[in-house]
Amino acid sequence: MNVRAVIWVLCLIVMGVLTFWQINAQNAKIDGDILSLIGREHHDGDADQQDRSSDITIVRDLLRRDANQVIIMMSHPDRDQLEKASRTLAQHFRDMDGTTSVSLPGFETGDASSLYGFYLDHAGGLLSQKDRDMLINGDGQRIYKRAVQSLYAPSSMISAQSLASDPFSLLPGFLAELGDKIGQSGLVHKDDRHGTPIIITLAPHVRTSGFEADWVNHANDLIATATASDDALLIAKTGQIFFAVSEASHAKSDVQRIAVIATLGVIAMVVWVFMSPLPILAALLTVGSGLLAGITALVLIFDSIHAIALVFGASLIGISIDYALHYLVLPGSDRTDDTRLSHVRPGLRLGLLTTVCGFSALAFTPTILLAQISVYSIAGLIAAYVTVVTILPCLPARNIRDRAAIRVIYQKIDTVLLAVRPSNGLRHVMLALATVALIGAAFYLPANDDIAALGHGDDALIADARMIGETLGMGGNPQFIRVDGDDIQDRLETGEAIRDAVRPLIADGRIGSLFGLSDVIPSISRQNANRALITSQLIAPFGPQLQAVIPVDISSTQDTKTPLEPAPEILAAIPGLSGLQRGETDIIRLNAVKDVDAVRDAISHIGQARLINPRETITGQFARYRVWASIALGVSLLVAGLVAVLRYGFPDGLHVVAAPLIAILCAVSGAFVLGVTINFFAIMALFLVFAIGADYAIFTSESHQHGTQDATRFAVFLSLISSVLAFGLLATSSVPVVNAIGTIISIGLISAWVLSYWMCAGHNGNDHHTTHPQSRGHQ
Amino acid sequence: MTQFLPASKQIILHIALIVFFAMTGHVASARADAALPATKLQQIGDDQYLAGAFRLDRYLAGFEQPLISKGAFTLSPGDGLVWQNREPFPDVTVMTDRGITRIGDDGSRETIANGAQFNQFITLISAVLSGNWDALSQHFIVTERSAETDDATDGDSASTWQIELTPIAGRPIADQIAHITASGRDFVDHVRIDKPTDDHDEITLSNQTAASLPLPDDIAALLAGQVQ
Repeated sequence: MNVRAVIWVLCLIVMGVLTFWQINAQNAKIDGDILSLIGREHHDGDADQQDRSSDITIVRDLLRRDANQVIIMMSHPDRDQLEKASRTLAQHFRDMDGTTSVSLPGFETGDASSLYGFYLDHAGGLLSQKDRDMLINGDGQRIYKRAVQSLYAPSSMISAQSLASDPFSLLPGFLAELGDKIGQSGLVHKDDRHGTPIIITLAPHVRTSGFEADWVNHANDLIATATASDDALLIAKTGQIFFAVSEASHAKSDVQRIAVIATLGVIAMVVWVFMSPLPILAALLTVGSGLLAGITALVLIFDSIHAIALVFGASLIGISIDYALHYLVLPGSDRTDDTRLSHVRPGLRLGLLTTVCGFSALAFTPTILLAQISVYSIAGLIAAYVTVVTILPCLPARNIRDRAAIRVIYQKIDTVLLAVRPSNGLRHVMLALATVALIGAAFYLPANDDIAALGHGDDALIADARMIGETLGMGGNPQFIRVDGDDIQDRLETGEAIRDAVRPLIADGRIGSLFGLSDVIPSISRQNANRALITSQLIAPFGPQLQAVIPVDISSTQDTKTPLEPAPEILAAIPGLSGLQRGETDIIRLNAVKDVDAVRDAISHIGQARLINPRETITGQFARYRVWASIALGVSLLVAGLVAVLRYGFPDGLHVVAAPLIAILCAVSGAFVLGVTINFFAIMALFLVFAIGADYAIFTSESHQHGTQDATRFAVFLSLISSVLAFGLLATSSVPVVNAIGTIISIGLISAWVLSYWMCAGHNGNDHHTTHPQSRGHQ
Repeated sequence: MTQFLPASKQIILHIALIVFFAMTGHVASARADAALPATKLQQIGDDQYLAGAFRLDRYLAGFEQPLISKGAFTLSPGDGLVWQNREPFPDVTVMTDRGITRIGDDGSRETIANGAQFNQFITLISAVLSGNWDALSQHFIVTERSAETDDATDGDSASTWQIELTPIAGRPIADQIAHITASGRDFVDHVRIDKPTDDHDEITLSNQTAASLPLPDDIAALLAGQVQ
């Protein structure tokens, strides 16, 4: 083993140790949460925009908060049985590792007395809308009578303390209305069944440490046990964790199946061709070093590495194995290692250069995800190249077997493909047409970035979520209205204006409910208006009469009251409120929205308010990813064309880049015909088509320089088989996004392979396959 | 906020429940099954209703005099409770498993609370009247106190009983109720409800009679049409 190989092996060992240490020391964590991916772009917006969170940032935070919530709906014809079963199941969930808290709104009031006490100090400025309307309409008499009745009612909330602060018993109405505003009934009766939610808050580590599948499995076991114990008991569940685990399970199952088949296929292919395990070792070393270097680069540069970046980065296996095969197929019997290497090194360098240029373009997009993919791929491919040129020459050479079936098949196909020899003019026309078509496709081909179309979709979970939404008005797509403003009181007043605007929609059922900070803490101007109403419509006309019944100085009850304000300590004291405010933005959450357009119209006149649909927002984000990736792909093709022209001159250089360009067009067209959705992930698949397709074309072109055409074409053929095994099988996946990637790469690579013959073959008639005497002698 | 939301409704519900079962004799009824000292407690069957007069003395801390109300009540285990104030002014409170409605002397109706929570209302009443103690044991620790053995009025010491209910720690009802004491003979005659705020209610029931259904028309109408 020469010195360079030893040094490189040492470098790989250092990388391995460094990566292991970084990950174990939590200096770099692998993040599988798609929410951490969004809202992490570099912005150059104005200062005002930077002070206020972007839509996507708020959506991310909101979804992250919701991500830790699980809703279990219990339903039973018998209320007592329901309570018994709910309490039992809730306790089981409390005992589960990973559960932070469990609440049973149907049967537990929570800290109701402290909430009542909290409001009692500010009761003079708090009115339900119903009472407010009555006072505005001059109907204080009814409220006075109700207050007197409350004094003697058997079911009254009054106490000496409450009368001192709230002599007209207005606070119970405010609290009751608050409950209605939130719209989450603890116990509902529908279709002769009682239903109640169990609301579970997960520990943050459940969603970030890969523990979520365990939690979901345990939860499913508990639910199955509860259901089995009582035939009349129905249980539905919803929460991001269930959908995430379901999708991951589908994808994992598919990918595992595909990985096993692909790995066995590639191993069988290599062994079959070489009749030796050494080439397998060489391929594994090349691919392994690439993966290791990619991860090392990520952990050194980024604090957090996203799983999608790892998955796409790992797809460089398909590229790096090309490098290994390109070297391994060269006959080694009577040549030195340096000679063999000299034949492939220029092609490898050029292939590496074009691919690195392509992935570098991704690094300049303003997205962390694409930057991570870029860094991973560039570092990985450089490492794979270094392994090929340093370590592989140290391994004993193994020649291919000419009589291997795969070789025979190759020779027949090779003959057919070589028979087609487009003229240079035709090649120019093909390149021109493909360029125009590709530009047209970029602008006019319909894309669908809807995140809902990415996953497999679990019908049972979707049905459960719908049932919970319809029965309890909980869960579902968490739409919200964002309210911006420098001053908190302005935002609270805007919130009150929104409620006024949307009230008719709630009345006719187009919205289930909405809930914002101003519902819990009215603006000071609203509180002052309430105080004025109470003073003029209740205290002045009815205070003396009420004072005759209860020994409270009613006229002074408004004197010492301070307005309720959303101070941080108050927001912290009431659970659920902290999530409704972020800097200079307040959030008003909507439940059970049936008519989004009606909501948008209703608040359109309120300048500081905007309806946000998280699904639309994230979809828009992925659309931007797609655009950036498409631009980067275009830049990559241009750079690759420039490099190729510099190397091969004009027009041969253009022909070389025409192969991956036309392959990309074929992949896009094929995807369109097959109904495959064009989205960000599809563009990333096209990136792989470009990178691998460019290698095919470059290797083929380089072979003309070194008289290794046949060996190179065979290497490309083997590479194609391995890539189709690795990527093509993805097209059989039931997960739409995985299926799309597999379909696009399969079409693209097969096209690139064929085009490497037609666009890059020489014209001197020396392309026909030969059987090397050396290799023949080894058989 | 989720855990707070039904709070006001549940507070009303719990208070109503306490009034309900404290006045109906269910305590004594249940304890009779549990070998309470010999009583003549009458159990109310599903085909019966109970009617009588009440006096509610509401003692509020710092108030020199209690707030006193008087009137009549009618309880039907299958339908609900009608609480008719006569003094200091007439009004009616109707409590069923659908909610609580207050009806003014001018006929105006006001729904104090409604919702599915109130399904447990009548279920609990029926349970306790039939001696099913499980329904209450979810909320209270039930303690039998030695009753006064000598009754100055009629000397019938064996007929007097007293039960104390203490909310189970951690139960939401403990926020509203500190302690309940009920006593009586044939029916519950007296209930004292102590609240955590140092306030307390004293309910005295009299002239109670158990009769067979159907309910009087006016009472039946009130129970049937309370929630619009």
